[in-house]
Amino acid sequence: MNAALDSRLLNLVIALPLLFAGLIALWPKRESGQIRSLTLIGMLASLATTIAAFAKFDLHSRQEFQLEYRTAWLSDFGVSYHVGIDGLSACLVLLTGILGPLVVLSTWTFVKDRVKAFHLAILIQQAAMLGALCSLDTLLFYGFFEATLIPMYFLIGIWGSEERRMAATKFFIYTMAGSVLLLIALLGLYYLSGPPGGRSFDYAAIYNALTTATREIAASGTTDGNQLSTAAFALFRYGPWFFFAFALAFAIKVPMFPLHTWLPDAHVQAPVAGSMLLAGILLKLGTYGFWRFAVPLFPAIARNWQVLLATLAVIGVVYGSLMCLAQRDVKRLIAYSSVSHLGLVMLGIFAFTDEGAAGSAYQMLNHGVSTSALFLLFGFLYERRHARLLSDYGGIAKVMPVFSALFLIVTFSSIAVPGTNGFVGEFLVLMGAFKSNLPIGLPAVAATSVILGAAYMLWMFQKVFFGKLTNQENMQLQDLRPRELVAVAPFIVLIFVMGLWPQPILDVLRPSSERFVARALYGSGGNLDVSKVRIRVLPAPIGATPTSTPAASVVMK
Amino acid sequence: MDNFFQMFPTVPFDPTVTGQGLWMIIAYPLAGALLCGLLGKTLGRANTHLIALGSVGTSFVLSVLAYWATCDRRAVVATPIGLVPWSVHGDFGTWFAAGSFKVNFGLSVDHLSGIMLLVITGVGFLIHMYSTEYMSDDKGYWRFFSYLNLFVAAMLTLVLADSLPLLFVGWEGVGLCSYLLIGFWYEDKEKAYAGRKAFITNRIGDFGFVVAAILMVLLTDAITQSPVQSFGREPSSAVFASRYQAGIDALGALSFPVIAETARTVATLEEQTIASGPLSGHSFQGVVTVTLLLFMLGAAGKSAQIPLYVWLPDAMAGPTPVSALIHAATMVTSGVYLFCRISALLVLSPTAMATIALIGAVTALWAALIAFSQVGIKKILAYSTVSQLGFMFLGIGTGAFWAAFLHLVTHAFFKACLFLGAGSVMHGNAGEEDITKLGAVRKEMPLTWATFLVATFAITGIVPLSGFFSKDAILHAAHSNVLTGYPMVLSLAWVIGTVAAFGTAFYMMRLYFLTFEGKRSPAAKVAHAHESGPAITVPLVILAALAVLAVVQGIPFLHTPEGLQTVFQAFLRPVFSDAAAISDHVRSVHWGEENGVPWGTYLFAWCIALAGGAFAFIMYKRNRRLPRALEPFRRASFAKFYIDEGVDILILRPLRGLSMALYRVVDAVLIDGFAVRGTAWVTARAGAALRYFQTGDAQTYAAVMVLALVAGILWALMKVAS
Repeated sequence: MNAALDSRLLNLVIALPLLFAGLIALWPKRESGQIRSLTLIGMLASLATTIAAFAKFDLHSRQEFQLEYRTAWLSDFGVSYHVGIDGLSACLVLLTGILGPLVVLSTWTFVKDRVKAFHLAILIQQAAMLGALCSLDTLLFYGFFEATLIPMYFLIGIWGSEERRMAATKFFIYTMAGSVLLLIALLGLYYLSGPPGGRSFDYAAIYNALTTATREIAASGTTDGNQLSTAAFALFRYGPWFFFAFALAFAIKVPMFPLHTWLPDAHVQAPVAGSMLLAGILLKLGTYGFWRFAVPLFPAIARNWQVLLATLAVIGVVYGSLMCLAQRDVKRLIAYSSVSHLGLVMLGIFAFTDEGAAGSAYQMLNHGVSTSALFLLFGFLYERRHARLLSDYGGIAKVMPVFSALFLIVTFSSIAVPGTNGFVGEFLVLMGAFKSNLPIGLPAVAATSVILGAAYMLWMFQKVFFGKLTNQENMQLQDLRPRELVAVAPFIVLIFVMGLWPQPILDVLRPSSERFVARALYGSGGNLDVSKVRIRVLPAPIGATPTSTPAASVVMK
Repeated sequence: MDNFFQMFPTVPFDPTVTGQGLWMIIAYPLAGALLCGLLGKTLGRANTHLIALGSVGTSFVLSVLAYWATCDRRAVVATPIGLVPWSVHGDFGTWFAAGSFKVNFGLSVDHLSGIMLLVITGVGFLIHMYSTEYMSDDKGYWRFFSYLNLFVAAMLTLVLADSLPLLFVGWEGVGLCSYLLIGFWYEDKEKAYAGRKAFITNRIGDFGFVVAAILMVLLTDAITQSPVQSFGREPSSAVFASRYQAGIDALGALSFPVIAETARTVATLEEQTIASGPLSGHSFQGVVTVTLLLFMLGAAGKSAQIPLYVWLPDAMAGPTPVSALIHAATMVTSGVYLFCRISALLVLSPTAMATIALIGAVTALWAALIAFSQVGIKKILAYSTVSQLGFMFLGIGTGAFWAAFLHLVTHAFFKACLFLGAGSVMHGNAGEEDITKLGAVRKEMPLTWATFLVATFAITGIVPLSGFFSKDAILHAAHSNVLTGYPMVLSLAWVIGTVAAFGTAFYMMRLYFLTFEGKRSPAAKVAHAHESGPAITVPLVILAALAVLAVVQGIPFLHTPEGLQTVFQAFLRPVFSDAAAISDHVRSVHWGEENGVPWGTYLFAWCIALAGGAFAFIMYKRNRRLPRALEPFRRASFAKFYIDEGVDILILRPLRGLSMALYRVVDAVLIDGFAVRGTAWVTARAGAALRYFQTGDAQTYAAVMVLALVAGILWALMKVAS
């Protein structure tokens, strides 16, 4: 493929699911079988494009963002259509691509009414998530970020369980609150990004402008903000507020303790597909937001609040685990385990060390694999029994041996047994946190997840699968069908491949995590060299001389 | 010393080539596990055990080759840090690396892991063979062999690993297999619970292991970041520093050669404190001590020491071959193996050594006390295992690593023999486990009886069986060695250990008398026992023979510059030479004088064993009643001193209660009720002016949002078009 095609590859990645969504929209409503197949084909095609994007990503390149494409769009507002991926987003895009077809397979027979609308929602969701991960324009990111809410709201609200309206509303209100904060913060960034006429929503431009300001503040060592230039003073004065807005918006999405209460309800009520998408990718947009926006844009402020945020992360780890021990509902238990796992991801991010960053990035992928797989597998059981309580089950291993074996593998991946994917991420996160300047007690407490994780997961496993088959309704359960096996198999493969052969992925993540740490530590300890952290600003539109100079292409000095 | 190694034949091939094939030792059982697990149902029983036995047998042959290779003086591994003699090594690429941290897939065999390989695959093969008859009626035949093969693969990974993280793969892997095999009959709630209890208790230990491993990395970082001049290392500090860094870059900070080098360096740093990094302000010695104590927590989990021993007796819920292989011969000794592996680090800290010695001694006695009154044949053997593992840790704590390891090996033989013998007894008595309901099995099961008696003598410590020499070597070391700064600890441990040895003799002979001698109990399930088939008796005979023959490893008849030594000690000398040199350098252990064969202590130990046996003889063969004064003690011992109940009341219930309380109060009331609804309420009041837009229906919001988004997109598209 030549360069021109390369630079448009991401457009295809984002547009393909939408294209298929358009096709589905035109398809007759009654042909639900065809709609399912068509969605599956669309997801597989989308997977192919994400694999292509991942394969095209050159980890030896000095270019941070690759496969970049930028064109003038809404230039009156300083917006442009700008996409590109770095190592982290390349991996997350690939994960999204992989989950796509599996999500469709997961509800092949489960969803029976409004089939068309359901698949339309999944495809739009897929496009929105891919778009958010690829966006290099902050307002574009916001658009996609918001767009992920709507299909998810409908997925929960229409195809969910008995209390779906409540859960959908809670999900929507919670995340909308975050989104509003995010929008306010982004508008603020626009004003920080330069003098009037030179303002832009472009990520690179904003980052470079803020770095210049951060450098000025760090160099002056000012305590009251006097003698600073206007831009630096604005950052000095209002930066903390913007950081909080970002942090709050993304912390809701992650979700971090104590903003997590929407997640269990959403997961419990959502259909399998919704849970998989939510756990697999949607929550990662929160951690991704910290990684891409909140920390690098405001490194000095992030460092000031490092201990607080890391403490909240560690509380999340332990608290989430304790919550799991108090649950009677399997899906709610898995949801709370997400709170615990993502606490570990946040701890890795706020360690600001290479090992921590790499570990937390890897842990994002692990959680996407293991937790979606748990929801998927439990979804199969739910489809057969329509029961979620631990007490409804027991002795399932007897009637569904293959299913039980697979569930056990995923369980062990979730509790990070070495040899499975979970261990690599958890070990690196803990090591990164121990190596950081955080108080040593924090990672030590977080390490108790080794014990607690095993405690709640195996407790759940025993209640569901072991013991005598007492419930009449469980006697006739059928083991996994071929279609279901096909949906689970990729997860099992990923669990072992990522556990035993993690280095190819860690190599892709390495440049991103090193840059992340360099940016997070920028301005500390006399480290003022901008050459390592600065981002190249791509002119818009690329390849052609602009007839007029759009605001977005103004390179900040 | 060189003369000693001259005795070994030179291998007829280049010993270093075996290094490249080490992965196969693990791969065969792993492949066997996959084949049995995936295809076992279609293959049928005969094919299943053919695959399972074949893979372990092949592994055994390969292990012999690898072991043989390490006996050749050409078997030298070159690392950036220096040469490692008497070992072979294979590197199979990077497992993972991030930041400055790196782990390789590196496997190596030296004399220590070589012996372990032989024990695991050898005893493992015998137990696989035994299982073909013992499990012949089980519906989960193929599942059983799949798990058992998987276990062997994990255990081999544990001993072959040349770094802590890779060792941890095996460490957790064996725990996983143990979980699966204890709960093998998962339909029984108790058994499934026992499996879970084992895994979670192990995980408490693993928490310690993980944190300790990370502390090791921090320690390595602290050394590399220290000023180079501070190391008094040969040939020069600068050369040392660059070699050390090269070693870390090539092998990873947690590989065993680097850990040994770290230990040698800390030995020269004495009381220096760490200047920078997350450990700044602490002394190198202090960090090493904390690290070692955390490793001990890990080892206590896996090797069932106080306070984490509670899982092992319950683990007897698994099939008997599993108890023999996993919960006696191999997995539970991993903790001992770990400390032999990092012995160079351990001798840096007398504090850690004293703690380990005491934990070992107290565990040995404690478990023996509980074993006094149990009635389940496997329960008694389980507590006996806990007790014998305690002896091994006592040996570790005294610095007599070779003795601890010898006891590990002899214990593997006689305890596997005992468990398999117990299995044979159960097999021939319709599954009866209660020794008060057996009796007079001797005549009906002659082979089982003979082998069981030999193994009982071995564990009791009757001359001239192997158990005597290995246990005595440990007690002798505890008697003669002194830890710097803790003058009385080893003496105390010796006293406790000696009492425990007396106890061992008592409970083992009690078990023997009640099971094999006397009259047939009226409560027996079947009137007459029947002897088991050859698949069961052949392994018994071989193991009993090994329990006798291992004695040649334990008699000090070898004249060396260091005085009289046993073959085993001389053979393991290269493995423990670092530990010896470091302990001499930092003077952490004062070694007792070696003057010829210790006839006096031999006689004493022998008397102790005889006394214990005689006591049991009087009580159970002659049927003397227990003095009334001891009745409360018997009851407490029978109830295992109420430890499980205590843990339940003091730890588990409060934890679950706390979880429930937090869930009901914090999540439901404080966050959801107060904060979230409160915010919503305030917002609603503040937005009263916007009442007409505020319908409270989220669907309306969503619809408005969709409309707005669609309008925005349309407008944007129009802008692009224009």
